[in-house]
Amino acid sequence: MDWLRGLLLVAQRDLARFWRNIYWLAGQLAMNIADLVIFAVIFRGLVNPAYIPDYIRFITPGILCLSIFISAFSIGREVGIELRREVTHYLVSLPVTRGQLVAGRILGGVLRGFMYQAGFIILAVVLMGLPSVDKWLLILTASLLLAVTMSGLSITVSTLTRDFNLQAAIRSLVYFVFFFVSNVFYPEKALAVRLGSAAPFAYYSPMSMTVNIYRYGFNYVSSIDVFFNLTGLIVWSTLAVLFTYKVYIRNLTG
Amino acid sequence: MRNPSFTSNIRSILLVASWDLMKLKNQKVFLAMRVAWFTLQVLVFARAISFIVSQSILEYTGGVDYYYFYLLGIYTSLIYSTSISRGYVIADEFDDGIVEYHLSLPIKRGVFAVGRVLGSSLSTIIFTLPMMIVVYVILGVSNLFSIIVSLISALVFSIGVVSFVLLLVFSVKSTDLTDILVGAIDALLVRLSTVFYPLPVIEASGIAPYYVIALMNPISNLADFLRILVFPEYYMVFKYGVAPIVVYMVAFSMGLLVLAVEYYERKLEAGGWK
Repeated sequence: MDWLRGLLLVAQRDLARFWRNIYWLAGQLAMNIADLVIFAVIFRGLVNPAYIPDYIRFITPGILCLSIFISAFSIGREVGIELRREVTHYLVSLPVTRGQLVAGRILGGVLRGFMYQAGFIILAVVLMGLPSVDKWLLILTASLLLAVTMSGLSITVSTLTRDFNLQAAIRSLVYFVFFFVSNVFYPEKALAVRLGSAAPFAYYSPMSMTVNIYRYGFNYVSSIDVFFNLTGLIVWSTLAVLFTYKVYIRNLTG
Repeated sequence: MRNPSFTSNIRSILLVASWDLMKLKNQKVFLAMRVAWFTLQVLVFARAISFIVSQSILEYTGGVDYYYFYLLGIYTSLIYSTSISRGYVIADEFDDGIVEYHLSLPIKRGVFAVGRVLGSSLSTIIFTLPMMIVVYVILGVSNLFSIIVSLISALVFSIGVVSFVLLLVFSVKSTDLTDILVGAIDALLVRLSTVFYPLPVIEASGIAPYYVIALMNPISNLADFLRILVFPEYYMVFKYGVAPIVVYMVAFSMGLLVLAVEYYERKLEAGGWK
């Protein structure tokens, strides 16, 4: 019980700090909304309807992934700032175990992800229709697993360097790898044609797995391999947690 | 007879600019990151997204394949984001207190500001050179004139963007807030430009403000200028001609440079940056 209390305290601190960065939130919201109301609206006029009949409905689940990515990565951004300003000394002096600290920070990222994504979920319902109860469960599970994966990953990459510019560059590189090598912006067929034998990389991306579940959940596609996508996300999130524990603690105390 | 003050100013500008260029040597990892994500953009994103684009696009690009059209868009957005990231470097200097050292140098404030902008812009061009070579090799550009004019136009554009970000850094005075503002501006400017789609497609979306912003957007102007330079056939579908683009780009950059210098001279005395 005490273990849980310590963890929740760390998560609560991260959650409270989320709302303090109101300008950052506004900036990110502008970026996400711009993807939908600018990029998707204009790009729809360019897309071959034989591949994607309605690009806005196609990209909306991708925006949901993006919202989780951005909010979960906000934890990493703060971890990076803490490292630069040496707040880490304060963190390691807290009367919580290293495990509680790491788990608390990941939980903080997950809660941020859920809160930030809520508005976009409503938008998705408006654009794509209301999912059934069992599909809601699937959507929320996918969001949870992706948020754990991305929070862990963001904390890990942000502790690799103290250079602010380099931290931003690593964040962008992670974004490009996960979103471009996935079926968020284009269907799997496009990747298969253009990437050839490298296309399966996208198949195993956590973004592809999540976006598949979202597309199924919001009835954009009628069937997917639920077991494969969920199991894949569980594997990704487990690895991310283990990796974060190792790297974050090493860089925090090293 | 040569004006000694003028010669001294030029020497000072070059000295300050060379300071910025020297810092490039410490950015090998950063360059590797940029090259990695640029490669992903060119080899994965651009190729896959061009697959889903309808062939009807050709009537808006003068027959230029969407993949080639978009490659020059990527290069333009790269020049933009690298110029912006030079602003982060300057913002970092405010945080780290290097500004005090700069102000103590026996160089006029205005001259120093011009040197910083020029140094940052030249750094941007050198930094993005490997990516430009990749794009131009894919496009098969071998005309030396086109390459030189491309570099000059990218430099002029970069001067405007660096001046803009300097103004932003001076006004906001916070690395965090600069990061946020730049992110939001970037999101809107890149999407409301011709990086991804030609102007007629934006016009066809039926949302007039999108079209007007894209038309006035400096990113659109550089991207389209480079396209006309590399693919003369693109000029045929470009109804406004080249002259307005050139005038606009020069006015944009020189206007912002003058503002940045003016701001630097006025605001930085007596701890005005804090």
